Amino acid sequence: MTTSVVRTGEGRSSPTERAQAVIEGVDAIGLDFVLQLPSSTLAAVIRHLESRATPRTFPVTREEEAIGIASGLALAGKKAALVIQDNGLGNLLTALNTFPLAYHLPVFMVVSRRGGLNEYNSMIHLFCERVEAIADAAGLRYWKLDGRVPIDAWASTITKGFEHSVLTRRPVAVFVDLMGGQP
Amino acid sequence: MSRVDALKLIAEAYPRDPIVVTLGATARELAAVARSDNHLYVLDSMGLPPAIGLGLSLGLEASSFDKCLVVEGDGSLLMGLSTLATIGLLQPAKLFLIVLDNGVYAATGGQETASKAIDFAAVARGCGITARDVDSSDDFARELDRCRTDLGPILLRVRIGAVNAKTPYLLEDPVLLGDTFRSYVTANRG
Repeated sequence: MTTSVVRTGEGRSSPTERAQAVIEGVDAIGLDFVLQLPSSTLAAVIRHLESRATPRTFPVTREEEAIGIASGLALAGKKAALVIQDNGLGNLLTALNTFPLAYHLPVFMVVSRRGGLNEYNSMIHLFCERVEAIADAAGLRYWKLDGRVPIDAWASTITKGFEHSVLTRRPVAVFVDLMGGQP
Repeated sequence: MSRVDALKLIAEAYPRDPIVVTLGATARELAAVARSDNHLYVLDSMGLPPAIGLGLSLGLEASSFDKCLVVEGDGSLLMGLSTLATIGLLQPAKLFLIVLDNGVYAATGGQETASKAIDFAAVARGCGITARDVDSSDDFARELDRCRTDLGPILLRVRIGAVNAKTPYLLEDPVLLGDTFRSYVTANRG
């Protein structure tokens, strides 16, 4: 069940508030399918999605597989989103560039940021610190939601990101920093 | 059986249903011998065609198409092998994966793949996919017909020769290839 985001006043939003805002944004799209590769930071979002019959939410084995499946769904006229974490972004780069980017297909992804402050995993920084530069180099259009963005803007950024993907017929990502580690 | 022989049989048996065809010589040969709007020519994206076909099949479960076909090669399937697990998990009713297995990367000079070390049909069955092997064109034609009414995902591993037909490069704009296919699917899904 979707509930309203609880505001925390003047300060930064909490991880729980951010996860709830992501849920609100994803729910508002009206997706048919969600393809997920979990992150501990996305657990609440995935748990919510899996508790509902629609969208149909299922796990994938690799990020590039998700690009292929989402592209096939787009060709069939269905609304889909990937819910993945950023340290898997490297896996999907070739698939992204040779299929949905090359064929002009809308593929939308919600990507959780890892690394930085508050990150417990010492091995995740090296790749995650470079994710934005890699996305830029790969031609992946993205928006960022982090502690500098008011929590009120999170859900609408996600829904508008999806609409932008459809409008421009290309892959779009929204990077969500749920733990507050970025910047 | 040559790859061209196999592709002709597929195109004749499934003139209406969506067919995702893998990169390289396979896409070129199908475009040369049986060009059709129901074919999605994947120009690159090695390892991805079964995933694309899975997405199509999920999206077209309520359509009037009998099947969503994927024509894959052994090298490309090996690159995306884990997709078989996702197919087994989701059990797409119309997905029909045809693996044209020549044991080599034929488009790049005939280098050997790891195909001889793997029983594709057994792996597929282990994932919950109906799977069979075919070695002759007569058997392949029979299986193409038989599979039409099977429910659930199917993998057919077809042994073919390693010779490429002489065909022109397929250098068309992928945007047009994709849009032609999408428009066909939209107009004919019923």
